[in-house]
Parts: sequence; structure tokens; C-alpha cells
Amino acid sequence: MPNIIDTTEMVKKVLPIIYVLDTSGSMSGEKIAAVNEAMHETVDVLKDISEKNPDAQVKIAALAFSTGSRWITSENTLEDLEDFVWTDLVAGGTTDLGNAISELDKKLSRSELLKSEVGFCIPVILFLTDGHPTDSYINILKNANKNNTWFRHATKIGIAVGEDADQEALARVVGNSEAVISVHDNDTLKALIKVASITSSMVNSKSRTSSDTNNAVEIINQTMQMLPCKGVTLNKSSSSETKKTDNNSSDYTIIDLDESNW
Amino acid sequence: MTEFKPGDILKSIDGNNIKIIRFLASGGQGDVYEVEYKGERKALKWYRTFGTNKKKFYENLKNNISNGSPDKNFLWPEALTTTINNSFGYVMKLRPKEYHELSEFIIARGVKFPSFKAAIEVCLKITSAFRILHNKGYSNQDLNDGNFFINPDTGDVLICDNDNVAPNNTNMGIIGKPRYMAPEIVSGHNKVLPNTQSDRFSLAIILFIILCNNHPLEGKRWVSIPCMTPAFAEQIYGNNALFIYDENDRSNAPVDRLQPNVALRWKYMPDYIKDAFKKSFSREAILNPSKRLRETDWLKVLTRFESEIVKCDCGNEIFIHDASDTKCEKCGRIYNVKHKLKLPEYSLTIARGTWLYRCQLGSCNDTEALNPILHSVYVISNGKKVLCLKNEMGKELKAITTSGQVRMVKPNELVPVLTGIKFIVFDKEIKII
Repeated sequence: MPNIIDTTEMVKKVLPIIYVLDTSGSMSGEKIAAVNEAMHETVDVLKDISEKNPDAQVKIAALAFSTGSRWITSENTLEDLEDFVWTDLVAGGTTDLGNAISELDKKLSRSELLKSEVGFCIPVILFLTDGHPTDSYINILKNANKNNTWFRHATKIGIAVGEDADQEALARVVGNSEAVISVHDNDTLKALIKVASITSSMVNSKSRTSSDTNNAVEIINQTMQMLPCKGVTLNKSSSSETKKTDNNSSDYTIIDLDESNW
Repeated sequence: MTEFKPGDILKSIDGNNIKIIRFLASGGQGDVYEVEYKGERKALKWYRTFGTNKKKFYENLKNNISNGSPDKNFLWPEALTTTINNSFGYVMKLRPKEYHELSEFIIARGVKFPSFKAAIEVCLKITSAFRILHNKGYSNQDLNDGNFFINPDTGDVLICDNDNVAPNNTNMGIIGKPRYMAPEIVSGHNKVLPNTQSDRFSLAIILFIILCNNHPLEGKRWVSIPCMTPAFAEQIYGNNALFIYDENDRSNAPVDRLQPNVALRWKYMPDYIKDAFKKSFSREAILNPSKRLRETDWLKVLTRFESEIVKCDCGNEIFIHDASDTKCEKCGRIYNVKHKLKLPEYSLTIARGTWLYRCQLGSCNDTEALNPILHSVYVISNGKKVLCLKNEMGKELKAITTSGQVRMVKPNELVPVLTGIKFIVFDKEIKII
């Protein structure tokens, strides 16, 4: 009989948490400092959570967008938290959200970012912006939703920073106005990034209720419960928006059981 | 981000003070604090979410508290708080520091079972606790790897997170944790609710994980799934679930390189343990909840398994096959089985520390299954080590000596292990051979 002391960890699927962060000029100063500080702390916390999580191995990626977009983390693989150190972002330039989505469309693929022997849990993508998109993103978004199975199925959450953030655009990107949180001060922004990351990392370990809707709403609800209420609101402001927005993932109800689509 | 700070005082519904000492941890449903309650250190679970119906949830907790804990192994709710800011919590015992969560054994970094014997003891304690819970008319409904605190050295288990426990077929809104839900719940799309039978499927998953450190439904098919969407999850964990050792369909067999624990261990498992798992995860048991193994079925095979593990002189554990001489896999030495007990259904190896329980003698009442009958111990007699069987029944036991004389063995009295001695227990004859 093999020695039980030689037991190794049970193999886990990988849970990608992908940060898509606005680093345009309007983010400069305290806002980008808050994001950087939050990300330093988040990486440490996620590392600890991932080690203790028996259901999923958390890995991260980060894409910054301003004039164009660039990967802060490796372009070819998700980052293992074990030895990852956050590099501070610098803000400046425009808000090319469409460029960021196009980059996601390109990299969310099994031959690019999503390489794994054991497969993945549904990726979580956190979009953070304080402004309005400066490029045309709508068609790019439509294409990503249509052609990229990973993007379409991903749990997408929007963080709207300050009064000027285009909540409607964020709601459109994440596909659901209920999956957008607005935040109005930097301390809360810091807390929000951290808490939303923690709840995202544990979404697969939470017991389900018979009234559960979808992962994004579950993450948002739990994040809201864990945050101090001051300075953060759920986006229910845009009355012209339907709950499910145009171009959202629910337009594509194909159940992808065909592995070649991934 | 926490609701309370040290020194805050809450009230239980029966008017006692609950003083916050410190914040301990945050979980999916709420936060846990160390508190002082009636002069003792306790834990307080404070909710952020309550399933689907807060009032029903609160009333159920209140009932569970007034009914009391089914068994000492449950960290059962002891007192309910009054409602504050639209929420509430309950007081329970603190987890002693030598206990670890099952998830820590799964990730296998710092905490491990010291032996298979200890792991089986844990399986027995968990199964026994659920037998008691089910016998009292409750079902857990959210049985998962977060429910257990385990002392690896003693095999003792504390069952935690009992707040969703409710009378069978009454649901509090929680339907279970992914990977641990029964197939009918996964494929039921929120319309099928958990009950005792779904608990039994989850229990079999837990037992498999403790013994093999691999999920029983996660093999080749699971590995090949690119992204665990609800649709793919239903393929793996729902009505189409396939056991990794299904005899008729090997398409979900373990991937040895990625899943070495189970690949190494399964072949050494005794046939009756393999059969119990094959039956638990058969197509029949997946589709028909009434075909699942009951706790007593598990107790029968687990008690047998536990008593058939002996320690070789080299320190390695040996799984004895059919109570006969077995070779140590590590040092190659043959472990010589000198004596065995011929039971109605099989023969049991008598070694140091062998226990015989009521359920090993054939069908019995659920509540009596784990009542001990005999326990083997070494004693020094005339300067020699003699292996004896101790009467653990708590009452007299009828023995027949090798010369055919009837002798009544008093509780705790010892009988030397000699070929030919018989015992008459519950009208069954068992014999030392």
C-alpha cells in the first residue's frame, strides 16, 4: 500500500481572474494610486486564498488600456500567484475600451492565454473605468461575444469609478446592468477591487441556493454585503437600460458543449 | 468590513449576553467571531445571506436549537441572536485548535492523515454522525468538504455548518456546493431539492475523497473539459455522471499522471470497498436515489476495512486480503496472520487493536451498528505478551472454551486468543480460527 503521507494535492481546474483596467489620463493621481495599492494587496490575498482553495487554482492576468492596450502580465500565459509581483500602472492617454476588448478576443484562447492541462473554471473579467470609451467599441464587442466562446461565457463585472464613468458602456460590455458597481471615493475603490477579487476567487466554492441567478450577480451581491455601504452603489441608474443589455452574452444562448469551440 | 468590533454586546433571544471577543473568519454566508457566552468562549456565525427565505431560515434554526444537538460530534447551534440591522447569527462551540478542515487534507500541504487507519476512522465517524442525523429525521442538504473539522491524530470529527440542517424534505433555500451535489440536484435546475438520499450521494463523494484524494467523477472526461460551464458541469456531475472506475465505460478513467493519488491507491483497496463505491456511483444509483448505500452499509464495510489494516515492522501499512498472509509492499516481508475470527459473513484478522462492532455480525438496528463487541489487546502474563480479546459489550458475553465448556465473560474481561474458542453473540456464533 502506498504511504498516505505521500498524498499530493488533488488536481484543480484553473480559475482565471482577468483585470481590464483603465489607465487613461483621467485615472492619474489618486485613482491610479488606489488601483495600484489595491492590486498589491489583492495579489497577496488571492495567493493565500488560492493555496487554501480546494476547488480551483486562481491565476490572474491584467490588461491596461488607455491609448491602445497592453498586457501588464504575461501575454502568453496566466500568472501563477505564487511568484507574481504587481508592477505599478501609470496613467495617461485616451480610453480605448474597444482596443482592450479586441485584445481580449485575441488572447482568450487555448493557444494564447488559456493554456492548461486540466481546463478552467469560467473566467472572471473585471472591467474598471472612470470615463467614456474614446474608440468605437460596439462592433468589437459584438464580434467578441459572437466569436469568442470564452469571452461570451466569462463572468463579467464592471466597476465604474466616479461620476464620469460611462455606466451604460460598462453595462453593455459586461452584458448586464446589474453586474456594474459604481464607486465614488478612492478608499472604497481600493476595498472594492480587493473584495470583488476575493468573492470572484471563491465563487466556485460557495453553496448554491435555489434562487441563484448567475455568477456575476452572485459575486456583486456578495461583494456589496462585504463592503462598507458608503461610497458604493449598484448600477441601477440608467432607466433606459433594460436589465440585460444589447450585445450581451444572453443573446447567444448556444450551449457550448462542443470542445472545439473553446 | 466586519459588522462588529471587540467588546460589542449582542443579545440571544433568551436574553443572554454575547460579547464579541474577535473576528475569526469570513465565509460564503457570513462572518465568524469568537465570543463570550454564558462565561464560555464560543463561536458566533453572523449571516450576510440566508438562503431564499429569511423568516423560514430563522425559525428552522430556532427549532434546531430547541431540539438540541443530535450527537456530541455536531457543532450544533446553541443560541440564536436577536435581529440587528436585518440580520442575525447563532452561537456554537469553537473549533479546538487540533482540528483541521477537510479542505486542508485535500490540498495536502501541511496537514495529512498519519495513516489509512486514521483516514478510515474519520470515514467511520462521519458516516456514523450522518446515520444519527438521518435517524433523527433531519437531512443536511449541503454536505460538502467544508462540513468537517478533523483531528488527524485521533480520527475524531466535528460536523460544522449545521445551519441548513432541516427536517427531511424541508428545504431552507440552499441546494448544495458544486462538485458535492447529487446528480438529481445538478440536473434538476433548482427544481429538485436536496434530501436524505441526496445527502447519501454527497457522503459517498466525501468518503471517496478521504480515501483516494480525488473526486470520484473527475477523470479523463473532466480533464478534457475546457471550461466548467453549467452545461459541462451537468455532464460531469448531473444525470450523465460517470464514475472514474465504472467497469462498463472507461471514458472517464483517472489520468494517472495528473491524478496520482487515486491511481496508486485504488488497486490496493479491498474488493468490498471497491464494490461499495462502484455501487454508490453506478448508473443505477446516479439515476435512482433509493439505490444508494445507506450509512449502515458503509459502516459494515468500513469497520471491516479498518480491522484489516495492520502495521508491518518496517512501519508500512498492509491491507490484509481475506484474513490471510499478505506481503508488505514496501519491504517485501510476509505479514503472518496467526489468528482470525470467523464471522457469519467473512473472517477477520486478529491483530493488535482489532475492533469488532455489532454491524460486522450481520443485519442490525441502525442505532446499534457501531456498538463495540470485542477489542484485541496485548497483556503481559507470566512475563509473556499474550494477545487477548476484551469484552467491550458492557454486558456479559457467552464464550465456549476449546474443551466445550460454557463461560460467561464479564464486561472488560479478557479472553486469550486461542484457536477453537467460540463466542455466542446476538445468536450468532463467532469462532477463533
